[in-house]
Amino acid sequence: MIYDLYHKTEFNYQSNVSFSHNIARLKPKVTPYQKLLEFEMKITPEVYESYAFTDMFGNNNTHMLIREPHQSLCVIGKSKVEIFLELIEEYLHTARSNSITYESALKRLSHFHSSDLYAKPYLFESDLIPYGSQKIKTYALESFHKNRDLFEATHEFMERIFHDFKFVSGFSDITTPVEEIFEAKKGVCQDFAQFAISALRSIGLPAKYMSGYIETLPPEGEEKLFGADASHAWFAVYIPNAGWVEFDPTNNMIPKDQHILLGSGRDYNDISPLKGVVFSSGGSQLSVMVDVRKAKV
Amino acid sequence: MQIFEGYVSESSFDEVYDNEKHIRACWKDIVSDIENAGLELLKEKQAEIDWHLKESGVTYNIYNNYDKPTNRSWSLDPIPFVIDGKEWEKTKKGLQQRAKLFNLILKDLYSEQKLIKENIVPAEVIFGHKGFVTEVFDFGYKEDFNLYFYATDIARGPDGKMWVINDKTQAPSGLGYAIENRLTMNVVANELYPHISIKKLSAFIEEYKALLKELTGGDSSKAVLLTPGPYNETYFEHAYLSSFLEIPLVQGQDLLTKNGAVWLKSLSGLKRVTTLLRRVDDRFCDPLELRNDSRLGVAGIVEAMRENNLNMINPIGSAILENIGLNPFMKKIAQYFLKEDLILPQIATWWCGQKKELDFVIKNLNKLVIKKIDRSENIKVYFGKSLSFDERENLIELLRQSPYKYVAQEEIDFSTVPYYENGKIEPRNAVIRTYSLRKNSDYSVMNGGLVRMSATKDGLMVSSKNGGISKDLWILGEDNIAINPINTLKYTPYVETSIHKISTLKAENLFWLGRYLSRSISTTRLILHVIKQITNFYRYEIVTSKESQIILQNALTHMTMTYPGFMDTKNKKNLDVFPMIEITSVIKETYRSGSLSSTISMLSNSNMSLKDILTIESSKLFEKIQTEWHVFSSRKGDSTLVVANELDTFLIYLMAYKELVHESIFKEQGLILYDIGYKIEDALLLTSKARSMLCLKLDKSIGYDVLEGMLNSIESFNAYRAHYKSSLNLKNVVDFLILNPQFPKSLMYITQNLLKEFKLLPKAKTTSTSYEKVMLKAEVLLKSIKIEELIQITEEEGVYVELDKILSQISDLFLECSNEFSNTYFSHYDE
Repeated sequence: MIYDLYHKTEFNYQSNVSFSHNIARLKPKVTPYQKLLEFEMKITPEVYESYAFTDMFGNNNTHMLIREPHQSLCVIGKSKVEIFLELIEEYLHTARSNSITYESALKRLSHFHSSDLYAKPYLFESDLIPYGSQKIKTYALESFHKNRDLFEATHEFMERIFHDFKFVSGFSDITTPVEEIFEAKKGVCQDFAQFAISALRSIGLPAKYMSGYIETLPPEGEEKLFGADASHAWFAVYIPNAGWVEFDPTNNMIPKDQHILLGSGRDYNDISPLKGVVFSSGGSQLSVMVDVRKAKV
Repeated sequence: MQIFEGYVSESSFDEVYDNEKHIRACWKDIVSDIENAGLELLKEKQAEIDWHLKESGVTYNIYNNYDKPTNRSWSLDPIPFVIDGKEWEKTKKGLQQRAKLFNLILKDLYSEQKLIKENIVPAEVIFGHKGFVTEVFDFGYKEDFNLYFYATDIARGPDGKMWVINDKTQAPSGLGYAIENRLTMNVVANELYPHISIKKLSAFIEEYKALLKELTGGDSSKAVLLTPGPYNETYFEHAYLSSFLEIPLVQGQDLLTKNGAVWLKSLSGLKRVTTLLRRVDDRFCDPLELRNDSRLGVAGIVEAMRENNLNMINPIGSAILENIGLNPFMKKIAQYFLKEDLILPQIATWWCGQKKELDFVIKNLNKLVIKKIDRSENIKVYFGKSLSFDERENLIELLRQSPYKYVAQEEIDFSTVPYYENGKIEPRNAVIRTYSLRKNSDYSVMNGGLVRMSATKDGLMVSSKNGGISKDLWILGEDNIAINPINTLKYTPYVETSIHKISTLKAENLFWLGRYLSRSISTTRLILHVIKQITNFYRYEIVTSKESQIILQNALTHMTMTYPGFMDTKNKKNLDVFPMIEITSVIKETYRSGSLSSTISMLSNSNMSLKDILTIESSKLFEKIQTEWHVFSSRKGDSTLVVANELDTFLIYLMAYKELVHESIFKEQGLILYDIGYKIEDALLLTSKARSMLCLKLDKSIGYDVLEGMLNSIESFNAYRAHYKSSLNLKNVVDFLILNPQFPKSLMYITQNLLKEFKLLPKAKTTSTSYEKVMLKAEVLLKSIKIEELIQITEEEGVYVELDKILSQISDLFLECSNEFSNTYFSHYDE
């Protein structure tokens, strides 16, 4: 499957900014299951200098310095991405059959095992995702029984989030604590992802924040409007002996060729699409526009 | 033996006496010197030490709350901690080994991570510690990514050996205090310990300078010391070290990054920086890539490192080494990297992340001390034996929840040293902070250190934050290498104030020091005048008319911009009858913008930032001002007379402070900036007062009152009388205060003087700069004035419209000048 992606992020400042350092992460990650066919980034105003680098999580970063006075900064990423469904299904099939029980997973994670090492950074609390309370742990453990297969357990856990939580936008933002989301049982995709990650880490499992896009379809008979999409977020769990497996609690599905990955990390902070430090008085406002559509072949 | 008779240590090891109560060899001379000196002399020497430390301004800031840091003066014991030269050589070898190991660990963790891959160190000890900075994950490959400066806390264990207690790697503190301690001890040592020869510190400082030279590619002027600022607890030391190492002391706002490199903003432009000796913690160094709420760092620093354009002492990421979780694995690490045994013993430590160890720790909790591996988050220490049942259960719960976060350590009884207090000598526990510096590919250890003692006799915790006492560390013996007498340590304060090199932040603070000081003085004078008027202080034959009083009061509101103030129409009656309520508020309420108290707190910020440039007397005076102001402004119910008296005293202090500022720095240095700030503010306040007091058409008697008030509020009544030898009239007063080119307080004089001073600035050009143009306009405007036209008035107006218009134009021009001036000199974004 091939997609055309358009992701615009814009900062509007209250007063004139004469000097600003920014980091954009709008270039989708390349994985064995996802190829980047084309990419271009447009920045207004013009950048004075920019540096590209790959961070520890494998995400593509662009550091940009803007030195002309500006009141808004607009960064547009346009990409063409190809996703290989067969490879994903093959991977999931192997992962499912290699999956182990929750108890054996915990046991293996508590010992040295060279293939598990790079899942370890995802075991701990991160800036935005603390461990969950006892209540959250209890909620999670309803799915994770000792002798239960970890793949199955996580699948059920995802389903429960989908059924128990209501998708409501406007209730939360990226800093809304996981506990608050759990109490209210509502939020948007990033809340569900962060809640799941917090719960999984609290019960000893490495979990990753996945950031990207999902294709949405317009109501029957209507034409899809440009820019009607949004960024999407989901999570991945690490199953020793099997590897990382992704789950999307917002749509109650295992991401395959409808999900396009931008990048991943311990939480949103590791993959925020645009961040910056400006020298000015007054605040700033962020606006985002996303479009995802199947490429015309 | 008299003084030491009562000295009995309960520790299993005492530095002075062995178990048979014999004095150890290396202490014999010291003990007999102390006995010879007697308690009286010891007391005298202690007083001398205290005086010296106070004179050099040695402080350790402690925070009670964010508003008011208390400057704690540093205290030093007249008895040193003595170590025999031979023993020290062995200890040094151990410290060098540990420094080498830590450097290897640092480089490995931020490159190949062999320690993790080969199961030498558990991944959790690294990734579960916030000190691991993912942003620099591959910087370990860089040649100049090294642990350059390393501090190790050691103490003597019960077996008589020196044990490692703590490792400090990201921005180790204390070296400045150690040097100051030595310089202070030198003062009293001649008399107290005349025959003892010890190793000197100067070689280490020379090595430090050599390291800076190496890191900057031979040009040490490309190195700076980055401090979090004057409110940091060890700011004294930052200023002190920057003097010794001869590098500028800067704050984050002094630097910017572009072209993938770091630049120092100076008055004459941007200057490249290649080496950062930083006292800002890892995560606060770069708000772009690290903590985005940090105001102490510089956006883009990590990128500059990534581009190989910046090295740091120590590099961002070093905090991962401040990790007690590494202790249990140090033996294995030493074998792995060096094939050596650890030379210095450590306290037995169990990392709870392993099942066997966790079970052991829970079983033996009573004998153990529990700590987090990451002490940057929480420095709480649990002493197993003193926990209540509940506390114990809670702790076990924490351990089971996140076992990898905790270690347990054996509780150790460390050695005691004699300490002089209140006329006697007592044993106290002590910890020594040692310093190592990277030299070639090895480490050099300073022959000395900072010794800190527990605050109480039975205290186990040693921490400067809790207010401890310090000692100098003496290594007995001669120096191996002859020390060039030129290089012997001497404290010569070195602060870059040459106008071409002064840092932007200091420059800006000097400018604002001028503005706030002028505002403080003018505000105080006007308030005093208003109060005196109210209380009829001048004892006129006729009672002060209510009308002139109201004009003065309104002038106060206008000048301080504390609106609505006396112009509050709803409250008018009350204000007229009880003006002191409003006046007291304008004096005392810090949170009221424009109040005297708020101006003083701004002034105090500027003063604090300039502490190392101004003379020590000015700091002392300012401290006195602050303390007394705090008492006065928080007191309620003072009579009007008391308020007037307090303000009188305060005004004298401010004038004295002003004088000290003038004495501190040359004009060619930064003082010119202060002066420009002062003059601009003076001009702004003068136009404000003139608009309130000179522009109203008044009856003759009231007019006389008001004119006199105007002159008195700027202390110019006598000058006027001397100049005009006539009674007061509006025409002469306007001529005097606005147009007289000889009178230093007049607008004309200030304008022309500023134009002269601008020519002395680094960016001055033959063509006029933006701020100069504005002042030239003001000069033309002033020269065009014909007084007679200004003070013409039509009956119905009641106001001198033309005069008011001109004053308002001039005021705008001065404001514009201030803004243009700031843009030109204090921001560098367009360079």
